Amino acid sequence: MRAEGTAAAPAVELDLDLDVFDGPFDLLVTLILRDEVDIWEVRVSHIIAEYVLRLADSGEFDLDATSQFVVLVAALLEMKSRLLLEDEIDDELEDLDPDEAARQLVGRLVRYGQFRNAAGALRERWAMHAGTLYRNVAPPAALLRRPEPLALLRPEALPAALAPLLRDPPAPDTSHLADLAVSLVRELRRLRSLLDDAGRFTFEAVAPHGRIERAVTFFALLELHASGEARLRQTRHFGEIEVTRCLRPALAT
Amino acid sequence: MDDLSRRLEALLYISPRPVSAADLAAACDCGEDEVAAALEVLGREFTEARHGLVLREVGGGATFAVAEDCAEAVRRHTGLERPDDLTPALLETLSVVAYLEPVTRADVAEVRGVSSEWALSGLQERGLVEESGRADTPGSPILYATTERFLKLFGLRSRDELPPIEEFALAAADVEEIRSRLMDNAARRRS
Repeated sequence: MRAEGTAAAPAVELDLDLDVFDGPFDLLVTLILRDEVDIWEVRVSHIIAEYVLRLADSGEFDLDATSQFVVLVAALLEMKSRLLLEDEIDDELEDLDPDEAARQLVGRLVRYGQFRNAAGALRERWAMHAGTLYRNVAPPAALLRRPEPLALLRPEALPAALAPLLRDPPAPDTSHLADLAVSLVRELRRLRSLLDDAGRFTFEAVAPHGRIERAVTFFALLELHASGEARLRQTRHFGEIEVTRCLRPALAT
Repeated sequence: MDDLSRRLEALLYISPRPVSAADLAAACDCGEDEVAAALEVLGREFTEARHGLVLREVGGGATFAVAEDCAEAVRRHTGLERPDDLTPALLETLSVVAYLEPVTRADVAEVRGVSSEWALSGLQERGLVEESGRADTPGSPILYATTERFLKLFGLRSRDELPPIEEFALAAADVEEIRSRLMDNAARRRS
């Protein structure tokens, strides 16, 4: 063991080829069967140190194998911490006495062992049969995804394709939208002064020509009506609207 | 070769996948037992020594495969390569799926003691495992099962041809060893 242990637990000699393990159970079964070790005494830090040193020695970095190793060690850690802390943290396991916990673990390891062995048998079948070439019909070329013409793409094509995306888009053309010449506030002010001067008028007489402007005038009339400043009268649909001044409630008293 | 065997040969020639005895019988308008007998005749005809093709019963039916000694020329011509070998984790996950299917991810993780999403999607990418519906349990998790390609690549007629899982039980001595180690440990913790 190259890493130094600091705790009082017995230092465990591990000489494991970690690449061959399929999962924490696999590692565990091997540890239990091969070494004088149980999971409570496995120094996970040693396993990691061993692995890192071996990685450094080999000078190669296999991302797949390493990520599998990380998963394996993480699962092992979780398993170990659960077993160490079960009394404090796990309600379900609180009632579980060590005998029962051990029995359950044996059950799981034995069950797992079956599938590990079955995987070995599958490997043999694979070696024998995977190379067989069966009667086969390729899918029609038209259904295949068109392969990317990688060889035709040059590196310069990438910035050329990106540049248009980075440029600010031109401002949208709004010339077809008419500028509003009126505002509701200004129209209200105009109508109030008309009412004050004349006392009454018809919509047609005061409304401007533009459609939007007429709409604003109409809204202003409704506003005057709602506030009680004017009374509106229309004898038929789409007929002339007569507007008459009312005394403002505040002024009526 | 008799007439029926010749017709079967024609059917297998034209089919891109293994054809079941029932389908062959329907096409030839005869009984499945007659098909079985005629397939035997056909199998004796198509052996490595006589033809470049051999008759195989695989993936739920009969199909032609390239004779082993002709495979090299075929590979050179088609560019087909032998599929990459499966990693131990993939094989182990595959064995769990094959024996327990249909299974959920959680079932697989339960057996292996480690999350198996990566392995399952790797098997799906290789066409060995596919989704086969959803379990009728809370959250309706996806169910996984092996494919026809799995049967072909492992030379199996059907999943029933897999040896029973009990045959792979750990040796009694190993089980006893594990048990006594863990029990000793439990005893130590209790005291």
